[in-house]
Amino acid sequence: MGFLPDIDDAPAAESVSTLKRNFGLIPKIFRAQLLRPDLVDAQVHLLDQLLFAKGALSRLQKEFILLAVSAENKNSYFPALHCQTLQFLGVKPEQSQQVTIDHREANLPAHEVALLDFARKLASQPHSISGTDVETLRRSDFNDEQILEAVLMVGLTQLLNCIQMGLGTEPDFKPRVTFAVKEVNPAAASERQTLEPELAGDVVSDDPDFEIVTRVRNGETDAFEELVRKHGRRLYRSLLGILGSAEEAEDALQDAFLKAFQHLPNFEARSRFSTWLVRIAINTALQRLRSRKEFDSLDEENEEFRPRNIRAWTETPEEFYSREELRRLVEKEVMKLPAKYRVALMLRDLEELSTEQAAAALGLSIPGLKARVLRGRLMLRESMVQYFAKAGAGKS
Amino acid sequence: MISCQDFIGELGNLLDDDVAKEIREQLETHLAHCNTCQVLYDSTRKTLRIVTESGSFEYPEPIAEPLVRKVMDRIRSGCETVSRPQTDAD
Repeated sequence: MGFLPDIDDAPAAESVSTLKRNFGLIPKIFRAQLLRPDLVDAQVHLLDQLLFAKGALSRLQKEFILLAVSAENKNSYFPALHCQTLQFLGVKPEQSQQVTIDHREANLPAHEVALLDFARKLASQPHSISGTDVETLRRSDFNDEQILEAVLMVGLTQLLNCIQMGLGTEPDFKPRVTFAVKEVNPAAASERQTLEPELAGDVVSDDPDFEIVTRVRNGETDAFEELVRKHGRRLYRSLLGILGSAEEAEDALQDAFLKAFQHLPNFEARSRFSTWLVRIAINTALQRLRSRKEFDSLDEENEEFRPRNIRAWTETPEEFYSREELRRLVEKEVMKLPAKYRVALMLRDLEELSTEQAAAALGLSIPGLKARVLRGRLMLRESMVQYFAKAGAGKS
Repeated sequence: MISCQDFIGELGNLLDDDVAKEIREQLETHLAHCNTCQVLYDSTRKTLRIVTESGSFEYPEPIAEPLVRKVMDRIRSGCETVSRPQTDAD
């Protein structure tokens, strides 16, 4: 049973036969919606037309899109149901499972890898999809009708994933692959900023820390010291930039390593250990900022920022200051930035995380993260004009 | 022809070298004609260079070893509690 009570009703006979023919049962996701049997019928009709019926894409290609997109959404329900269905179609559970975890390692032909790359990108970063992505599919010999079906399959999977998560429907079969986080687009920032052990979805096979992490997980506690030495410096830098106090940064660093140690059994290598650790450290720092009542300033959007002080800078402004002076000056001015812009700027420009990594760490969309980083950079530039503008350069 | 507002909208991507060829050409055409955006682009680029090369927020060597020891002591002693952040009430 899910979040809503079970209803003793049935969809139309045609829907029942479509579902039974294709799944061998009426999946719980549809039984959970029987307050509105008409809408169940509409969804089954769409499934029948798009997924089950012969189309431009093969049935398997469409099923794989459903698995890959569900994986992006950390949805365990649909992979469990469809791995079972795929078995009826002659696909080994191991292969369906591998497509779910990482389609690039599933021995698929190159054009199907491109198709699933596209599907995952559309599901996880819809704002970054451009004509170039569609061109990539065309170069892989997909025609426009197939591309349309791919887009529709991603959309249908998003709809079904969202319905299942919203209704809390239990799986029909024991999931072969489960995901740590099941929220899709959680509404509140307070929910986003929880400890999220794995966000990336793919198993990372080239993690340089893999061996040490394995030793620690096998009970060799002392090996963790190597990880503390290796990653401490980088984490401290981010924590100090976010928190602004050496003492707090040290405390947060200790807490972050402790949390990482305690949660190591849950680490499933879907991202590198270092990425996972950075997320833990950032969440630790954000919790501290929130407890300082800087919480609101992290999430509220302010009015648009317009650069004002437009004076030309000297060619090599660094030359006028010693390295030590520059270091202090940057630290002083960065710490004056409002927390939400400071944190975004720290992650991108000092921690040098990718846009995607920084957005995931802060629970922001890619455009949201980019907007904050740009605002942080422009505000910092504004405050630096006083030190680096050419003498006598006019204002406008 | 793009406006100054459009240019600022794309400035972050330009700084990250993450713009499509056609957009880059439009931005460069705008830059060639707009002194204000030229100054804005140049000074923001220099700001980033200073920030990344300044060595700011570095890990001070004197605290490195003691910190490693503190972390490992807490882990080895089975101290499972994570210290509570400071609040105004503290």
